[in-house]
Amino acid sequence: MNLWTLVWRNLLRRRGRFVFTLAGISMGMAAFVALMTIGQGLTKEIKKQAQGLGANLVVTPKGWCAYEQISVLTGEQLPEAIPMPELEKIRGVAGVKSAIPYLNEKTAFRNQPVPVIGVWPEEMRTLQKWAIESGRYFNSPVERAVVVGSAIAKQFKLQPGDTFTVRGEPLPVIGVLREAGTKNDIATFIPLPLAQQIYGVQDKVSFIAVQVTDLERMEAVSLKIQEVANVAVVSDKQLLASVLSIVGTVGTAMQAVAAVGVLAAAFGIVNTLLTAVYERRREIGILQAIGSTRRTLFLAFMFESGLYGLLGGILGTAIGGLSAYLFGPYLTDNAFTASLRQAPMPTLDNGTVLLALGFSVCLALLAGLYPAYRAARLSPVEAMRYV
Amino acid sequence: MSEAVIELEKVSKTYGSGSAETKAVSEVSMTVEHGGWVAIMGPSGHGKSTLLQLIGGLDRPSDGRIVVDGTELATLGATELAALRARRIGFVFQFFNLLPHLTALENIEIALWLGGTKNTNGRAMDLLERFGLGDKARHLPGMLSGGQQQRVAIARALANDPGILLMDEPTGNLDSASEGDLLTLLSDLNAAGKTLLMVTHNPVVAQCAHRVLHVKDGRIVSDARNREH
Repeated sequence: MNLWTLVWRNLLRRRGRFVFTLAGISMGMAAFVALMTIGQGLTKEIKKQAQGLGANLVVTPKGWCAYEQISVLTGEQLPEAIPMPELEKIRGVAGVKSAIPYLNEKTAFRNQPVPVIGVWPEEMRTLQKWAIESGRYFNSPVERAVVVGSAIAKQFKLQPGDTFTVRGEPLPVIGVLREAGTKNDIATFIPLPLAQQIYGVQDKVSFIAVQVTDLERMEAVSLKIQEVANVAVVSDKQLLASVLSIVGTVGTAMQAVAAVGVLAAAFGIVNTLLTAVYERRREIGILQAIGSTRRTLFLAFMFESGLYGLLGGILGTAIGGLSAYLFGPYLTDNAFTASLRQAPMPTLDNGTVLLALGFSVCLALLAGLYPAYRAARLSPVEAMRYV
Repeated sequence: MSEAVIELEKVSKTYGSGSAETKAVSEVSMTVEHGGWVAIMGPSGHGKSTLLQLIGGLDRPSDGRIVVDGTELATLGATELAALRARRIGFVFQFFNLLPHLTALENIEIALWLGGTKNTNGRAMDLLERFGLGDKARHLPGMLSGGQQQRVAIARALANDPGILLMDEPTGNLDSASEGDLLTLLSDLNAAGKTLLMVTHNPVVAQCAHRVLHVKDGRIVSDARNREH
């Protein structure tokens, strides 16, 4: 016999109450862990996409909102707003190594929306360090053909020689890109002039990715671009910070809601334990009569509470991790993150597990303090009245 | 004359204050010798159980001095009082008061654990066998008869080999056969040197004790030695 045996027996006495209290803390923790895991997965993925951009500066039309800036990373369809002459001005700025235009559009293929990106073939290949998995790359900057990302090829079972339709225009698939783990995997690429012709946006592009010759002079180059052209410029870091700030704010808000759920569950523990103290007054009296100290009674209730936290934390982390894995991709499937669906699944890391378990146990111990104090302070004679 | 193991000197216990003041025990002085067997009788609500609680250190007197086994209780803190109850005093109650979710064996083990014994299982089993309940070790209290439960309760009270047993109506909930068995058991324990102090309403039970104290309105009104002892 030891304290754990006593605590464990007490815990299992009212199985229904035990299960429901545990369910409360488990569900709260599951929501907390799932949202945290999904948020972390999303952040990781966005960072990866930002790296995949391969640019130091992103030139956008003036007055773009955060949503449109984020879309640069996610590959969403964008308004065609920068005239080509502006591109030429930017290319002429000292310190600009390369300025590559993107025309981000969408088409419906076999009733599914598919991103179509108009690019300068050779510049893009150099910037993105693309490798061809099968078939070949564009031979000329005006070739009427399409190169598809690896995930798109897999999804639609496309091979070189097949036909891909862009806005009703049948184009031969000439190559499939090697999987890169970025949004490029779920996009299709055609030469920019062809894209402009098909979408009827002659002389306009969505945004321009700029590489600078000297990172130290990035700020100066950015200012110069804004001086010579009627555009806005954000650095890749600013872009990332802006996206992460939005995702972070949403994530924190969701986690706060989940934390309120855990807090409510903690009150459930308080309630369960206070009821237990009330029900066990007689037994507390007996234990005092046979030599239990106040410390032992206090510890017994604290351990009971801590066990709720530990078991609830373990169950909640497992359920939360599994939920994030199963439902995470759907939960993050919104306008901001549509293209991240192909991203690796959110995975539960050790830090999250430890944080969740620590949070759950600490909160449960806090919840147990008052009931344990009540049990320990119960006067033996008061308790003996129920004997 | 044997040495006194329980000494009370002008002990009073008052509950409430002002017009609601109730004196449960009023200036009681008494001694119980080592190896003695004392029965306390009296009407309900006249302070018998309060007296037992004061002697067991479950409550503190409003006035007076209590010495148990050579220790003045007023000098002990809550933890030391708990240690006294764990090792030097055994409590037995009318309604047995076993912990309902623990087996007979565990009910004894818990007392041993509270008394600081490490190998609780072996000693608890020995005690159960000594009280003829070896085959009931895994039974929950609800599966035992009143007599069996009371024997488990006494085994629990004796777990840490205390010198003093404080009993509140130990036969109050037993049939006459079980009552007889229990009195034989108490007699054996007393013969083995245990000091017994019991509250009872039953004159037959009180007759087994060496001395019978009568309590009325919180005072000892008579202290008689039984002839056969």
